[in-house]
Amino acid sequence: MTNMEKKFEFTPRLRYITYALMAIGIIAVVVGFTSDPERGWANLLLNNFYFLSLAIGASFFLALQYITQSGWSSAFKRIPESMSAYIPVAAILMVILIFGMGSLYSWVNPSEHGFDEHELHVLHHKSPYLNQPFFIVRLVLYFAVWIFMTKMLRRFSLKEDMEGGLAYFQKSEFYSKVYIFTLALTFSLASFDWLMTLEPTWYSTIYSLKNFVAAFYHGSAIIVLIVLIMHTYGYFPFINNAHWQDFSKYVFILSIIWAYFWFSQYLLIWYANIPEETTYYVRRLEGPWEFNFYLNLVLNWLVPFLILLPNYFARKKFILAFVIVMLIIGQYTDLFEQIMPGTVGEFNLGFVEIGSFIGFAGLFIYMFMRTLSSAALIPEKHPLLEESLHHSGH
Amino acid sequence: MNNTAIYGVFDNEDSLLSAVRKISDRGIQITDVVSPYPIEELFHILKLKTRIPVLAFMYGVFGMLATFGFLYWTSVVNYPLVFGGKPQNTLSFVIVIFVMIINITIASTLTTFFLREKKGPGAVPKYDYPGMTDDKYFIIIEKSAELDADAVNALLKSGGAIEITEK
Repeated sequence: MTNMEKKFEFTPRLRYITYALMAIGIIAVVVGFTSDPERGWANLLLNNFYFLSLAIGASFFLALQYITQSGWSSAFKRIPESMSAYIPVAAILMVILIFGMGSLYSWVNPSEHGFDEHELHVLHHKSPYLNQPFFIVRLVLYFAVWIFMTKMLRRFSLKEDMEGGLAYFQKSEFYSKVYIFTLALTFSLASFDWLMTLEPTWYSTIYSLKNFVAAFYHGSAIIVLIVLIMHTYGYFPFINNAHWQDFSKYVFILSIIWAYFWFSQYLLIWYANIPEETTYYVRRLEGPWEFNFYLNLVLNWLVPFLILLPNYFARKKFILAFVIVMLIIGQYTDLFEQIMPGTVGEFNLGFVEIGSFIGFAGLFIYMFMRTLSSAALIPEKHPLLEESLHHSGH
Repeated sequence: MNNTAIYGVFDNEDSLLSAVRKISDRGIQITDVVSPYPIEELFHILKLKTRIPVLAFMYGVFGMLATFGFLYWTSVVNYPLVFGGKPQNTLSFVIVIFVMIINITIASTLTTFFLREKKGPGAVPKYDYPGMTDDKYFIIIEKSAELDADAVNALLKSGGAIEITEK
């Protein structure tokens, strides 16, 4: 059990790696802004939303474990906790993004964007909701809720380490319940605000659900990947087949739910065939976007679904890692498809896109590792810890 | 069916599992284990193998192809109707196919299971004991010439059986 006390150490080497990644990102963002400001803003939005969705997905995963009083995952709960440390960073970057609103969101000054009379009428109709001050108020409100809730869950978890007992577990459970209700509302509206209004005359009510599921899906997948990597470096020595089974079950079932929401949106728009709705997909099925459109489906649904279907594969760490790497690309293609056609308009995938993704990844990893190393890796006084250490299938 | 069998009755999962472990460690063949719900660990202890998941997958593929074939035949080949200019080979097939895959897979897998296990309505159970379909757990060991019945009884008892009967 000596390994149990092992604390994750944020060594200078790891620190420099994340700095290097961030440096690449800064160069890429600068190049992006100098070549085409809109491209720069769009990349900023895409990458920030990408990692924010991972953080939100992880915090939702954590809240869900408390609400269901799941024992099996309690030894890993420091990982989703640390992932949600990115949320404050995302808040700062979103605030910076307010300065780019004019070039990202065409509803800010609709007269400059060549909308026809009907579209202008629609935008006017939406203006009580879609206006800059209210947009900023909402943005602040969302982040206030998320940061407060995740900080509270983290604080309870750290206090539990010191004092033990059931009190903090019960508090966490209550806060988790409040959190998922507020998250459902705030994250839905946030994805409407930040992503859907990029094309302000288009709308889909299932859009937010789809994005929420994608966040949960990819957030959970990243948790699994981190556990996998740390396991190969000797952390979490107690992990057995039953843990892998449960992890891959999570990824597998969420791949089906993701596909379900994706298809729900696509089918209804396809079937109703109303021009103002179909423009969204027509645009994404033309030219270079078409490949991305199908790649999204393959990476986020077909690959995980088919590969994780046999029990045998689901327990192989190498295969699980492969699937998750596919999902990391998958979430990028998904957001790329949602954001890029409505902002940049032309298909650009070059140094700016890849470099800024790497930079944000560095930032995310930095925040994650810093938070992870600041507390014991295993929450030793968690009331359900024993269940996690001796987890067996059921 | 003149063979009698030893029935060890347990009232909880843990003592059942420990008894099963003890008996199978001795190399004694356990004929059957009955429990009110599926226990994953039993599967590993008794080294059971099943091909049902593979079969279920195949039924699923069959269900997909069969349903698509049927839909295609009815709405494209045999009786094509135009609905608002939609193509006849339409995306909305997916929903029907999805539901029918579930339906066909479950029905066929269950049928296969019942046929293979010779169970189902009207079947006479091979092993029967009061309480078997209730909340109790059972280990059933069929008696044969080589079987050391006393050893089995002792093992069942040490495992925590609340009742041991031969029938």
